[in-house]
Amino acid sequence: MKLSIEHVSKQYRGDVWALRDFSIELRPGVLGLLGPNGAGKTTLMSILATITRATQGRVLWNDTDLAQNPDAIRNVLGYLPQDFGVYPNLNAVEFLEYLAAVKGLDAAASRRRIDELLNLVNLNDVRKRPLGGYSGGMKQRIGIAQALLNDPQLLIVDEPTAGLDPEERVRFRNLLSELSGERVIILSTHIVSDVEATATDIALISGGTLVAQATPEGLLQRVEGKVWEGVFPSAELQAIKQQYLVSGTARRADGVHVRMLAPSAPSGTQPLAPTLEDAYLYCLNAHRVGAAA
Amino acid sequence: MSKMRVLHHLVRADFLERVRRYSFLVTLAFAVYLGYCCVTGKVVVRLDEYRGVYNSAWIGCAMTLVATTFLSLIGFYIVKNTIQRDEETRVGRILATTPMTKSFYTVAKMISNFAVLAAMVAVMAGAAVLMQFLKAEDLHVHFWALLSPFVIFALPAVAFTGALAVLFETLPVLRGGVGNVIYFFVWTALIAAPVGSLQGGHVSQATYFTDFTGIVSVMGQMQEDLHRVDPEYKNGAALTIGNTATSKTFLWQGLRGSSALYWSRVTCFLAAFAIALLAALFFHRFDPAREWAWKTSQKSGEKSFASPANGDRVVSLPPAQTPIRLTPLLRTKSANSMPSLVLAELKLMLKGHHWWWYAVAGGLFVASVASPLEATRGGVAVVALLWPALVWSQMGTREARFNTGSLIFSSGHSLARQLPALWIAGVLVAMITNGGLAIRMVIARDWEGLLAWLACSLFVPSLALALGVWSGTSKVFEALYTAWWYLGPANHTPGADFLGTTPYSVRPGLYLMLAGMLLLASFLGRRAQLAYA
Repeated sequence: MKLSIEHVSKQYRGDVWALRDFSIELRPGVLGLLGPNGAGKTTLMSILATITRATQGRVLWNDTDLAQNPDAIRNVLGYLPQDFGVYPNLNAVEFLEYLAAVKGLDAAASRRRIDELLNLVNLNDVRKRPLGGYSGGMKQRIGIAQALLNDPQLLIVDEPTAGLDPEERVRFRNLLSELSGERVIILSTHIVSDVEATATDIALISGGTLVAQATPEGLLQRVEGKVWEGVFPSAELQAIKQQYLVSGTARRADGVHVRMLAPSAPSGTQPLAPTLEDAYLYCLNAHRVGAAA
Repeated sequence: MSKMRVLHHLVRADFLERVRRYSFLVTLAFAVYLGYCCVTGKVVVRLDEYRGVYNSAWIGCAMTLVATTFLSLIGFYIVKNTIQRDEETRVGRILATTPMTKSFYTVAKMISNFAVLAAMVAVMAGAAVLMQFLKAEDLHVHFWALLSPFVIFALPAVAFTGALAVLFETLPVLRGGVGNVIYFFVWTALIAAPVGSLQGGHVSQATYFTDFTGIVSVMGQMQEDLHRVDPEYKNGAALTIGNTATSKTFLWQGLRGSSALYWSRVTCFLAAFAIALLAALFFHRFDPAREWAWKTSQKSGEKSFASPANGDRVVSLPPAQTPIRLTPLLRTKSANSMPSLVLAELKLMLKGHHWWWYAVAGGLFVASVASPLEATRGGVAVVALLWPALVWSQMGTREARFNTGSLIFSSGHSLARQLPALWIAGVLVAMITNGGLAIRMVIARDWEGLLAWLACSLFVPSLALALGVWSGTSKVFEALYTAWWYLGPANHTPGADFLGTTPYSVRPGLYLMLAGMLLLASFLGRRAQLAYA
């Protein structure tokens, strides 16, 4: 099982490039796709989900070119778009039955699968309610259920935890981890903690290009010995922000506790264990500095 | 900020948002096409065998008649989405948090509708100038005679139309497809209303005040003037499309203004403002609780729990302690699931209607079978053909309307399976709802009639699907189908009668061919929507 993205670029009208020469190869596991707003994550997801075509480059699913045979990927695809709708007059079961039919699933098998999925996403109690009355989080859970309908080998989820309460967010992270064994899962998000909890591999994307690809451990190693914390008076905060890459601040009685990234210890600071958020900010900043140079 | 300034920005933002959409270019293209039809003589105003000499007076008034006739009907469907767009874009919820009053909002929307339609009137006015030079029967251009009819008649008419569109959008019952169908009959009634006020064929003051489009007022003056030229003239007057041959011309000096006429047009403008203010009474101010409460109040037992405003608390679900277990799915050949997909499409089509919708559909079926063949064919079946119009009008538009395109179009064989399944479901709806007629035909052994019924059952869903796929909105089908149904099956017009309600208006071959062409158009349209066919 292999998904290869080879030199993919996407140009929109007005000479806007959402993706530029993006290449990556994915094997079973969870890829956390991290990047700021407008980085090109959703465009990449849309290309992989066959919703839009790449302007340049190609995508291969088990060596089959998506452009030649899009159904090769569609038949094994589960896709949760960032923004999607539901049919308000249908209830959860009817909506999932409809999508199961559209995906070409056997009626009896899909009925059993729908029961399991509604249990899984905690919507069993409201399965007969029209979707028009669902809250945003409940609609998101219906989206998660439909993405898993066809037991996908390739699961693409775009900002899946948006609108979920903390409890449901934890459930979804656990679900992704359990599903990851024999599937390629792409989790696109800007919430670093979601990736931290589930991803076996991380790709950082910015300005439509791949900034870094590494395991979470590999990414953390890049900022090992570069994270510091110090306590400063409020008046100095602005100057520190201009001098260092600040990843967090907290006002306390003794002053402002500043978490910062620097190659060597700034005066008056102590070393800290890095987090993925530190690594994310460090890599994006290095990329921006490099691009500007 | 002064109120006028707020109003200006509300109207300006709404107008710019509309004119920067492709759909506006399409509507402008429609206006240009109308102008072209007039210039090339495809649409003419004729008084029996007469038409006016193409001078500024005649061209100005004739083009104004074309503009008001079409824009008061089609213009309504073009602009009846301004509040809906604010809902869909969520801009409405932001506006709702401002001090702006409801009446201010509805008046601003009316003015914005007016601005869009006035732009189309301006295109037609430009075409009128061009027409006088192209026809070259009288090259003396009198700008007042040429352009004043647009100002006097067309602008108030489109203001009135824009206001009605706002009113329809604010009334829950008329907001959707029902309103689109009903407007056609409202428009027909409004056009016909001033005819009754003609006194001995002459235009009276009452005519001016009941004639919102100005059609009867203008044509009435033309008829009176022609009578003076030719006393034998039989009072026939029509705006004709296609059959435009006229053998005689007469010199028309132009519109005779009067204070009653001008006041009637001012009244039309004032009526537009009054309607916009009336709309404010029904405007929900983007309160989702009111929106959903209205919908749910129609359905017993269905209560929203997403909106705390209706009294239900937000459901808090218990944490699931059960471990994650999903049965692996055996993959099946997709071709085997076609019947279940057709069934799913059929269920999706028929879901969400009120119980009485099914009761009326069932009643029409029974009445079709029980009535004599001629009564069924020319009466009951005609009504049964209009009844499911709002079911068909959703075909091909649901993915855009409910934003489910990314879910549907990323599924395998969407073009080869989902589209045909949708079409078959639409045909089944046609066959079931009008099945009573088929039974009567079989009993009477009227095979040609049965073939016409079959052609109709294939044609109507094909028309709905093609228009839905290409336009992305249900309104085009709702407007066109209602007008076609009225002209064809309801009035038994040969050529337009797709049901074949009388032996002389049966054209099964034509409608079978059209069904095939429309199905192909649907396929091509959907194919263009997909990144990969």
